[in-house]
Amino acid sequence: MKRLLRLYPSAWRARYEAEVAELLDELPTDRSMLLDLIRGAFSERARAVWRRIPASPIPAGGPPMLEHPLQRHPTSLALLALVLVAPTFLFVFVSLLAYQLRVPGLAAAVEPVVEAFAGMPWVDLFLVGAPFLAFLVAVIPLVGIAWGRASGELHLTISLRARALNVVVLILCVLLSGLLVAYLVTEFMFEAAL
Amino acid sequence: MSESNGRDPGLLVLISLAGGPKHGHAILLDVAGFAGLRLGPGTLYGALARLEESGLIESLPMDGRRRPYHLTRGGAAALRGRLTGLDAAVRVGLRRIEVA
Repeated sequence: MKRLLRLYPSAWRARYEAEVAELLDELPTDRSMLLDLIRGAFSERARAVWRRIPASPIPAGGPPMLEHPLQRHPTSLALLALVLVAPTFLFVFVSLLAYQLRVPGLAAAVEPVVEAFAGMPWVDLFLVGAPFLAFLVAVIPLVGIAWGRASGELHLTISLRARALNVVVLILCVLLSGLLVAYLVTEFMFEAAL
Repeated sequence: MSESNGRDPGLLVLISLAGGPKHGHAILLDVAGFAGLRLGPGTLYGALARLEESGLIESLPMDGRRRPYHLTRGGAAALRGRLTGLDAAVRVGLRRIEVA
């Protein structure tokens, strides 16, 4: 049960962990206590995030940026975005080589794979949706949002930061989305002409 | 739980500490005794953290492995205000029930 205290924010643990651990030694453990500790951990984490938002006044140069836990791991999120977008990238890249540049033998090699996924709309949906999803995942750590009150007015500040890997993934996502949209529009016009 | 609710953990902790300094386990036993409510450790220490942060209670030096808390002057004033508000609402409610 004491392991659940690891879910709490470090500042809270530094102040209260020993006391709560002592209390847990004295109380009979049951499921309601487990749920209470988990709920308490979420509540304290939420409070730790809210505490970073300045109440007032807003200091010169604007309020400090709210750093969400997700923003502390830009590289991990960029890699996750790459994994998400990899199937679409592979599909578009191989399609270009096989059907546009007509690399010898590649179209014949790809056909069985294309046939295997034919009639699976969720595969198409994933291939089209993945770049948009990956874009969101990669952009989250680059955007900082802060708000606070000064002189009775709400001030909202949005900042962007540049992280090389995340920016590369964003550009890749935009290019892939563009290629996919162009492909879909061309195919639609081609079918309409028939 | 809402601030004005008589089962608000923060209010219950303040009422408990109004009877004198207590550590976590003693507060739990006291609250169970006068309110019939069993607070969990997460709920209790969430309330203690908020009350301590807002200056309504203070921690005292460690008593063995336990840390007692006591009500500050501000905490006593805040508790008096909350209870007075609740008392007025309770009296109005009881009077209306008797009339109905």
